[in-house]
Amino acid sequence: MKHIHRILSVTLLILLISCNKDFLDTTPKDQYSDLAVWESPDLIRAYTNGIYQQLHNPLGTLWLSSFVDETMAQGFWGLSTVNSSLINPSDLSVLASDHWGQTMQPLSWDKAYKNIRACNLFFENVDKATYGSQSEKDQIIGEVTFLRAYIYHWLVAFHGGVPIITKSFSVGDDFEVPRNTYEECINFIAGECDKAAALLPESGEKARASKGAALALKSRTLLYAASDFANSDASWAGSYAHPELVGYVGGDRATRWRAAKAAAKAVIDLNIYSLYNANPTSTEDAIKGCEDVFLNYTTDEDIFLITYDYTNGNWPFTYMGQSNSPNGWHGWGGAGPIGQFVDAYEMSDGSKFDWSNPAHKAEPYANRDPRFYATVLYNGGYYKPRPSDVIAADPLGLVQTGFYEQPDGTYLGGLDTKDGIDNWNAMPTGYYLRKFIDPKVDITVEIQKLPWKAFRYAEIMLNYAEACIELGEEPEAILYLNKIRTRAGMPDITASGQALKDEYRYERRFELAFEQHRFFDVRRWMIASEAYTNVEGIKITYNLLPGGGYAPPVYEKNPDTWENREFKNNWYLLPITIAEMSRNTKLIQNPLY
Amino acid sequence: MKNKLLTGYARHFTGRSEMLKVMKIGILFMILGITNVQAFVYSQTYNIDLSLSNVPLREAFARIEEKTDLKFLFRSDLIDINKATNIEEKGSTTLPELMTELLDGSEISYNVVNDNLIVLSPKQPQKVTGIVTDEKGSTIPGVNIQVEGTTIGVTTDVNGKYTIELPGDNGVLIFTFIGYTTQKIEVKGEATINVTMVAETQNLQEIVVVGYGSQKKATLTGSVSTVKGADLALLPVMNVSNSLSGKLSGVFVSTGSSEPGNDGSIITIRGISTFNNTAPLIVVDGVPGRSLDRIDPNIIDNISVLKDASAAIYGAQAANGVILITTKRGKIGKPAINFSYNLGTGSPTSMPKLTNSFEYTTMLNEIDFYNGVPNRYSDNDLKLYQDGSDPLGHPNTDWYAETLKPWSSQHAMNISLSGGSESFRYFISASTKFQDGFYKNSASNYKQQSFTANLDGKINKYISLRADFSGRLENPNAPSTPVYDIFTSASLGKPTVLAFWPNGLPAQGGEGGANPALLGTSELGYSHTKNYVLNTNLNLKIDVPWVKGLSLNLLAALDEGFQYNKLWNKPWNTYNWDGSTLDENGDPVLVKTTWGGDPKLSQTDDKSQNLLTSALLNYKVNISKKQTLELMGAVEKIEGSSSYLYGYRRYFISTAIDEINQGGVKEMNNGGSSSISARLNYFGRANYTLSDRYMIEFQWRYQGSYIFSKENRFGFFPGVSLGYIMSEEDYWKKSLGNSISFFKIRASYGKTGNDLINPYQYLSTFYTGTLNSIVNGGTGAEATLYENVVPNPNATWESATQRDLGVDMRFLNGNLALTVDIFSNLRDNILSQRNASVPTSAGLSLPAENIGKAENKGFDFDISYRNSPNPDKLSYQIGFNGVYSKNKLIFWDETPGVPDYQKSEGAPIYAELYYVSMGIFKDEAAVTNYPHWDGARPGDVIFKDVNDDKVIDANDKVRSDKTNIPVSSGAISFSLRYKDFDFSMVMQGILGGERYIFGYAGEIGPYFKDFYDNRWTPDNPNASGPRTFNRENEYWATSDDYSTQSTQFLYKTDYVRLKNFEIGYSLPSSVLKKIGSTSLRVYFSAYNLFTIAPDLKGFDPELNNKRGYGYPLQKVINFGVSLGF
Repeated sequence: MKHIHRILSVTLLILLISCNKDFLDTTPKDQYSDLAVWESPDLIRAYTNGIYQQLHNPLGTLWLSSFVDETMAQGFWGLSTVNSSLINPSDLSVLASDHWGQTMQPLSWDKAYKNIRACNLFFENVDKATYGSQSEKDQIIGEVTFLRAYIYHWLVAFHGGVPIITKSFSVGDDFEVPRNTYEECINFIAGECDKAAALLPESGEKARASKGAALALKSRTLLYAASDFANSDASWAGSYAHPELVGYVGGDRATRWRAAKAAAKAVIDLNIYSLYNANPTSTEDAIKGCEDVFLNYTTDEDIFLITYDYTNGNWPFTYMGQSNSPNGWHGWGGAGPIGQFVDAYEMSDGSKFDWSNPAHKAEPYANRDPRFYATVLYNGGYYKPRPSDVIAADPLGLVQTGFYEQPDGTYLGGLDTKDGIDNWNAMPTGYYLRKFIDPKVDITVEIQKLPWKAFRYAEIMLNYAEACIELGEEPEAILYLNKIRTRAGMPDITASGQALKDEYRYERRFELAFEQHRFFDVRRWMIASEAYTNVEGIKITYNLLPGGGYAPPVYEKNPDTWENREFKNNWYLLPITIAEMSRNTKLIQNPLY
Repeated sequence: MKNKLLTGYARHFTGRSEMLKVMKIGILFMILGITNVQAFVYSQTYNIDLSLSNVPLREAFARIEEKTDLKFLFRSDLIDINKATNIEEKGSTTLPELMTELLDGSEISYNVVNDNLIVLSPKQPQKVTGIVTDEKGSTIPGVNIQVEGTTIGVTTDVNGKYTIELPGDNGVLIFTFIGYTTQKIEVKGEATINVTMVAETQNLQEIVVVGYGSQKKATLTGSVSTVKGADLALLPVMNVSNSLSGKLSGVFVSTGSSEPGNDGSIITIRGISTFNNTAPLIVVDGVPGRSLDRIDPNIIDNISVLKDASAAIYGAQAANGVILITTKRGKIGKPAINFSYNLGTGSPTSMPKLTNSFEYTTMLNEIDFYNGVPNRYSDNDLKLYQDGSDPLGHPNTDWYAETLKPWSSQHAMNISLSGGSESFRYFISASTKFQDGFYKNSASNYKQQSFTANLDGKINKYISLRADFSGRLENPNAPSTPVYDIFTSASLGKPTVLAFWPNGLPAQGGEGGANPALLGTSELGYSHTKNYVLNTNLNLKIDVPWVKGLSLNLLAALDEGFQYNKLWNKPWNTYNWDGSTLDENGDPVLVKTTWGGDPKLSQTDDKSQNLLTSALLNYKVNISKKQTLELMGAVEKIEGSSSYLYGYRRYFISTAIDEINQGGVKEMNNGGSSSISARLNYFGRANYTLSDRYMIEFQWRYQGSYIFSKENRFGFFPGVSLGYIMSEEDYWKKSLGNSISFFKIRASYGKTGNDLINPYQYLSTFYTGTLNSIVNGGTGAEATLYENVVPNPNATWESATQRDLGVDMRFLNGNLALTVDIFSNLRDNILSQRNASVPTSAGLSLPAENIGKAENKGFDFDISYRNSPNPDKLSYQIGFNGVYSKNKLIFWDETPGVPDYQKSEGAPIYAELYYVSMGIFKDEAAVTNYPHWDGARPGDVIFKDVNDDKVIDANDKVRSDKTNIPVSSGAISFSLRYKDFDFSMVMQGILGGERYIFGYAGEIGPYFKDFYDNRWTPDNPNASGPRTFNRENEYWATSDDYSTQSTQFLYKTDYVRLKNFEIGYSLPSSVLKKIGSTSLRVYFSAYNLFTIAPDLKGFDPELNNKRGYGYPLQKVINFGVSLGF
């Protein structure tokens, strides 16, 4: 037995020694440790790039325009649920944080707070790094300060007051945090904007936050805060016990308007932004200018841009053309302007369009606000050359949403209708999207890489005008409104009082069409019930002439509608999900849910 | 022979009647020459009164001769006439009775001549020769042949031949060989006895491979299922994992797809007990992490599945069970060559039935009706779709038929050579396989070439060396479109859209030219993969010369893998018709469209390496005659590394060359990364056996893994098992031995772990995301970096507590074998996130914490009956095995305050929440009278108001008590051999699972025909199914979104499937000799031939897809031949 012991122990000993355990001390080869990240300004910059990357890139088909009276989306389910105010804490439908449509995800409660944590973590660690200069450090801190405020702005716009969280939680912390009041939230965002503005440079890369971006965010935030909805004492909410969560309770509203005006003026006073193509030489030039604002990567009008995922190029904006172009160009007709939107465009002389006016009815697309032509594709309007397999049927590249009488008396639709090619993608309203879509991009093959203009100068001018109107400073408001109208090729406004207010709202609706404002504007002006009516469209018929050929088209409002919409007061704000309510018992649900 | 013996009789006569005896010799000669039967005297009785005790034989003879007319004749030099005997006779007795008594215990036989002359002679040895073969006619070397009741025994030589000498001309030969039924054959004077051995799976002498060793099945204390490689190689499947269905008790195999190269099954052992990875550990020839799927079944000798604490020796990787694969080795003998060829044809098991163009357009009009908008199809359109009179304008396209061909070929070929001598043995095998995809003009196929050389050398008495080399080229090819997209496109192909024009040119078909019929072809490019696998083992075994029973085993195993993939996307063409223009022949004038833009190529190059080195000491000692002790201890080090490189270019000038250097430089891209892994293991085992009936075994592993923090890196995993063979006890043998020939009771208890989790969870790390085009106004890009999950320094393995209690029994002389085990697996420390209780406002990417706990209990069994009523002609076997396993969550992070009927705890793992469907609202009154979802209308699904609060919301969802994972699975197998024919089949069935299936449909594509048939319409208000929906626009219509799933679309997955079926014919050896072959068998086999799944209409029960799409499973019909030399 002695032998055995010796052999066993010697052999095992050799084996044990030969197996140095150090080889188990591996580290991941494709990840950075937190120590490495927080000591390196370059890695911190990459980290903040990640926060930028997770911002909401609005365009697509499932964008806020399809949740208000601008467009109607096809291809996403649950839209009618949302637009009929039927969402509830059990089912947020397309607005759920895990909805596959993705476009809206970054705006969801979950994803927004995830990105807020990324900001909080930054603030807690940025001092560990040694920066080459204070200004470099100030800038990055200013950027993240802006970013966090920007994310909070979206959360508050959708939910009212939300929990303001400024620290990064760790496992084991007490996670239950109550909602802050609406007023606290507004003050927090505005304060952060001031901090950011003080730290940030005036100029630089526009996809990064600048002083202008911080001031513009402040302007938008204070405008919303001064509006009817936030100052309604929750009168719309029945006997809601916590009006402080959804608006101001008491206080001086005029002060709020003055703050909103000052915030907008602060951007204007930077004197670094100007309207693109501010003085067009002709109507054509005006149309082209309004279109090109969005087809240039950057102009002097831009304040803050949101760029896209370069590696995948896969955020919806890049597929704008493919998702929304007419089916006759092999597009998917995803989001199309609705009849109510088109009908509301003024005539080029500033008068209203009217179906009962025979001249208007005969040629509804003639002599309209030039922005109409830069925004909407309509029957007979030029888009671009048809794809090779269709070009023979339409060498001119004109949109065909009309229906042509056949010798047997039936009607056959044009190329961009349900009788055209890829007919399942036809938009029944008879209109397609033009704004934001770069016609030079071959939609079935190429992706569009234009950035999204999250803040542009025209919005600030309008914010300023609105505050001025509310403060009774009409000439000042008219001055700025007319700058915008001039660029659009529209005659000046001379109205006052309610008429001026109406003109202002017209300007805002069509200057900022599809730019994610209308959804909030109809709520803060508390005119949402007008904005949610069943989706209308156009009916265009080409009748055969006795001698052959077609008579000029007959236009009429289509008696059919395509999506049921109805506004109920619960839909002023989003609910907090049942799951989140049970995870955080300190939360209070929004009214009417 | 007999004459030769008797020639000596004339010489030395003894006794008183010598002269008389001599005189009768002539007669004796004559009689013995013609007969040795003495039956005619047997009837004669003698009245002898004789009582002798312990007297020499010669005296007894004398006394009998005195009392009767019997005379004894013998040679005193050949027989022991002084041997003592006892005789006690009174009254009448027969001669045989008398002689038996007289000669009891002596080595003497007798013959009776002339009624009364008894010739005594020594019991004579008899020589018997013969050949032993198996059922297929191959000779078996090494078969043990023993004469019953003696120590005389021989074994067959390399040619299966034997010669044995029996002590007498009668006797019984016992033929035994591991893995075959023992046969007893009476010699009855035959000089040649050829035997056919019948294979037996439950042979108790069988050696079972266990972790780091092997044990006799009889004394095994763990719960281990085994299957022989020969049983797997016969199946016409391309992936070994698919051939395990129904072969192993306790093992559940589910095939999700038969896509060439991507057809692996999910294997779970005794159900699941975690919501993390449930994959068992695969160990091939002692090396973990090798492929079960792609190994060539022809080189598999056997597979063992460790189902209980016997897996504890694999420690932290063993909680889901361990599958051990052992490859074949050469046997001593002349070279044996085996060749086999299989040619088969596969087709989808089942495809969902979809609405045709008339049904589809009818339903689209219904959508319009429900939406209050005008019908999109006129009555005339519907009529044209229905009568098919306008095939161009109003077609009715069956996209599955356009995309898939009815039959796809597959073939497999193998050749092997084995043999060797005492000092060198070899097994060499080479195989090739091919499987075609289901698509028409398929770009999808799978090719594999493999070789194996397993070499055994004996350097001297103490040192032997093994060197194994196995190489494989796996070559899956696929279209450039991912398989899911192809089947989604085909399933959503509109029947109203044409696939091909009359002249054969492809129509656009779908969005963006995605004509499903083109997607499976190489029109759009390809994805080619080449996966080279090299597995090598070098093993040195030293039997320590000066300590008997001590041996040292050193193993070095190096595995290398190289994977290349090329994804080539190229433009393709479709043709459009404007719907009216016709040429002079009346054919549509078509216009070409080119899709896909510029050609693009992505190429990846992956490399992986795994090095295992181990040293193992084994010591076996017989402490006493009755006690055996075996000790084993070892250390093992495993290091792995992998890396990949990726390159991408586009804007190729031409599609003629698909090499990366031909691509444009604009937007070119590349990438790559690498990883490493390391594990250090110490393990050992002690076995103690007493009296061959009491067994105790202890095994352990102390394991260190790179996955965890230094503090939590090592874990200890012990397992203990006991066995008691009650049938070895005398009392058992006396009372039950005849009915229950073997009875063993086993029990085991152990701790194992599961480390199949993401590594480095203890570190606070940041990962790089995709680039953000944040600079130069969106034209330039910069890196992004994101926080990983919040670190959890305490993360450790899941730990499993495994208990097993089993019995092994054999009845009916061993023909009927029964094994039953009950088991319980308690899994705790399951890593899971507190997502349910931590508010999302915390913004945390929560780390996984060891908080989950689940339990899995059940039983498995294996019954087999085999019989060979006539081993040469008929033998058969019937088997039935099954497993029942029911798991439940004991703890995981539950949302606070959820009602009991929604709790996950207590429900099976993965149990989902569903609204309970109470049918369909038949009319407005029904909607008004019951709480309903806002906006509900007649034809919608009635969600039950479970909590009776008059509101339908998320609180009305109920947690199901079933999941997608069945509770029971089982298989019945039957095999039969009759003369030269053989037949076998395996029938598999499962019970107790459910699946949610809801297909997209509406404007996006057709509906399931079953939905059409059963849908609510105003004219059919009592329908069982809801009204026509568009995509997921109705609250109850959902497949992606879990939030409004209801039981309306929940189906039972129970099924019975003829998994395998085979008929073979082996040419008789007489014919084989003429062609110089040792065996030739031709056979017809089938796989997944038919399935009965009562609740699933048109869906394969194994195809696990919520929408009912996916690459289908295949059924195969196969012809094969195997030839041996």
